[in-house]
Amino acid sequence: MLFNSLHFLLFFPVVCVIYFILPSLRVRNLFLLGASYYFYMNWEPVYALLLFTSTTITYLAALGIGYCKERRGKRLYLVGSLVLNLSILFLFKYYNFMAENISDLLARWGMSVQMPEFNLLLPVGISFYIFQALGYSIDVYRGNTLIEKNFFTYALFVSFFPQLVAGPIERSTNLLPQFKQEHSFSYENIMTGIRLMLWGYFLKLVLADRCALYVDPIFNNVPYHNGGSFLLASLFFPFQIYGDFAGYSLTAIGAAKVMGFNLKENFRRPYFATTVTDFWRRWHISLSTWFRDYVYIPMGGNRVSTLRCYFNVMITFIVSGIWHGANWTFIIWGAVHGMLQCVEKLLGWNKEQWKVRGKIIHWGLTFCVVCLAWIFFRANTISDAFLITKGIFTNLAMPYMRVADFLAIALALTIVFMKEIIDEYDLKIRISESPIWIVRHMYIVGMIAFIILFGVLNGDQFIYFQF
Amino acid sequence: MKNLLKSLLFVFVALFAVDRIGGQIMWWVNQHTQDMSGPKLKYLANEVDADIVLLGTSRCNFHYVPSILSDSIGMSVYNGGIDASNCIYAHYFVLNQILLHHTPKIICLELMTSDYAVSANSFETTSFFAPYIGRSEKADSVFREAGNYWYYRLCHLYRYNAKAVSNMGGLLVNKQLESESGYIPLPRPMFVPERLDKVHKSKNIDELKLQYIRKFIMLCKSHHIALAFMVSPAYSEADTDLYGTLKDVAKENEIPFFDYHTQGLFLNHPEYFKDSGHLWDKGARLYTSIFAHDLKHYIVTHSTGN
Repeated sequence: MLFNSLHFLLFFPVVCVIYFILPSLRVRNLFLLGASYYFYMNWEPVYALLLFTSTTITYLAALGIGYCKERRGKRLYLVGSLVLNLSILFLFKYYNFMAENISDLLARWGMSVQMPEFNLLLPVGISFYIFQALGYSIDVYRGNTLIEKNFFTYALFVSFFPQLVAGPIERSTNLLPQFKQEHSFSYENIMTGIRLMLWGYFLKLVLADRCALYVDPIFNNVPYHNGGSFLLASLFFPFQIYGDFAGYSLTAIGAAKVMGFNLKENFRRPYFATTVTDFWRRWHISLSTWFRDYVYIPMGGNRVSTLRCYFNVMITFIVSGIWHGANWTFIIWGAVHGMLQCVEKLLGWNKEQWKVRGKIIHWGLTFCVVCLAWIFFRANTISDAFLITKGIFTNLAMPYMRVADFLAIALALTIVFMKEIIDEYDLKIRISESPIWIVRHMYIVGMIAFIILFGVLNGDQFIYFQF
Repeated sequence: MKNLLKSLLFVFVALFAVDRIGGQIMWWVNQHTQDMSGPKLKYLANEVDADIVLLGTSRCNFHYVPSILSDSIGMSVYNGGIDASNCIYAHYFVLNQILLHHTPKIICLELMTSDYAVSANSFETTSFFAPYIGRSEKADSVFREAGNYWYYRLCHLYRYNAKAVSNMGGLLVNKQLESESGYIPLPRPMFVPERLDKVHKSKNIDELKLQYIRKFIMLCKSHHIALAFMVSPAYSEADTDLYGTLKDVAKENEIPFFDYHTQGLFLNHPEYFKDSGHLWDKGARLYTSIFAHDLKHYIVTHSTGN
């Protein structure tokens, strides 16, 4: 079920009303669990089995870790959980990519080996819930979180519908305890949640999907376009993916808030970053902190030799690239981000506190390199990515552009930019939080009307569902 | 709870008011914009008085030069092709709007496979005439068939969703300046387009679309309007059976069918194409003169009874 579908707009209020009517915490959690599985099964019912399997594996592994007295036994349960979950992920997401590459490689050496390929549909949000469940296993092993003995509560933690398919990837330390608290009806929570959801919908429907109307035809038909079009598409794509993903996260955070749950912030104005390191403190925060805590730090983090530290950064970001998809374009994208951060560490930029002019220069520089890296993320193939990059620098001609698209994107970007400035500098002029009742409510009315009029309302999928 | 109910009530009432007032403003914008489809539809619905009116989608809009046709046939011609209106429901609606005030002598309808074949969303390209809901019984009936009539009925702003930005942009930029009796010339492309693969299989028939094609024919017959079907050149090879269904309907009703796509016209001239589906101005002028010759020949032979 998509957040931007009529189905969800009916489903969500019904779930909220029933949730608050139900008498006890236990019944409420069971109801939310049922609703979450219903939400997930709207895509492909059979894949709920995978969700259930991953949940059961990590639940049993955590119990095993808890019952084992010896470290070796605990480790065995952890490794079992990691291997089984990552095997599911590998089979559904990476196996065909690996098989194809091995066949190609062997063919280059003159050996014709056709590896079997599986025609499996990638289950929606598999990387998100598997990482969330694995985070729990590791936290239990480290003793950072208590073992959840109630299977249904744990299953709800893994499948909680607002953040199930595209995050934020929650930590057991934050979300699990919230399922043990009574969430009473709160007017403030509902209004805050609705405002967050509306801004999420705005980012998705007015910004991201409008940018997509321009970006997708260019990136999908590279031979037919010139450098001008590539440049414009490469400038719009960062906002498309931001609007798409931050929009989903905000809608998720808002939906959870309406029911009284607090999810983690996932985006903090990433394009205001002045270094790539800073960018990763602001972009997909729940994933970058996951990699920091479960990949980068266990490898030694930055408390090792300089060279080893660079190696750790590179590995972390290459793995992050692979997490995004089974394609060399994602691996290169991750590697580019890793390399840029190594360069920043080398130059000491990651710790620098610039003044205004320095900030502006580094903001511009960071934005440009992030945009360039996005080309690899979005391009269908590596050769397309290189053609686009080459085209931008060598064939800068008049771009293909429809005035209407340009106006719509410019309008959306202006509004987003103003809102981001207000948030970044914490200016106390937010209409949505005005002390005047009618102004706050007119903001909601205005946003709904604006989305109906200018949003792209054809129910497009969120990009991050594929990861 | 009381606070929430108060807030919800206010939001619903204010949203209703904003929707209705916004709907009126957007109708005004729709009627005054100088964008592509809005003014053309308005002209077709209120002012067109040409003897020959060409209808269809962008392939009609960009492929037929009225002055060339007019010079050849000796009748006034208007190109009523509307960009991104590739379904028979749209053409049927447009024809009804024309007939409210004018009866042309000949209607030439440019057809595509999407006019009869099953597609993922058959009514996808009908949203451009959503502003006419409540103002035209034919528009209402099409959207009832599409199943989204009540969304449009409930939310007036939603009627302008597809075209809001371009309509507002049309208040600033006049796109009708380039228009010659409805024809919009496409510029020379930057690259020669690639030829699309040959399409072998005929498509599954959408019975509702076929029913609307018959309604279109009946409407012309009842107003004694001569009708001609065309399929203009495309930079792709086509099997005859791609249009076989439409040709059968044409034959049943003694309607001439000019199929230049299957004939492979310009297939060896990629330089005439803007992309695989559209001719640019040079190709359009050449093609119109060929079509004008064929249409004139048909008119002459049939008026003399040969």
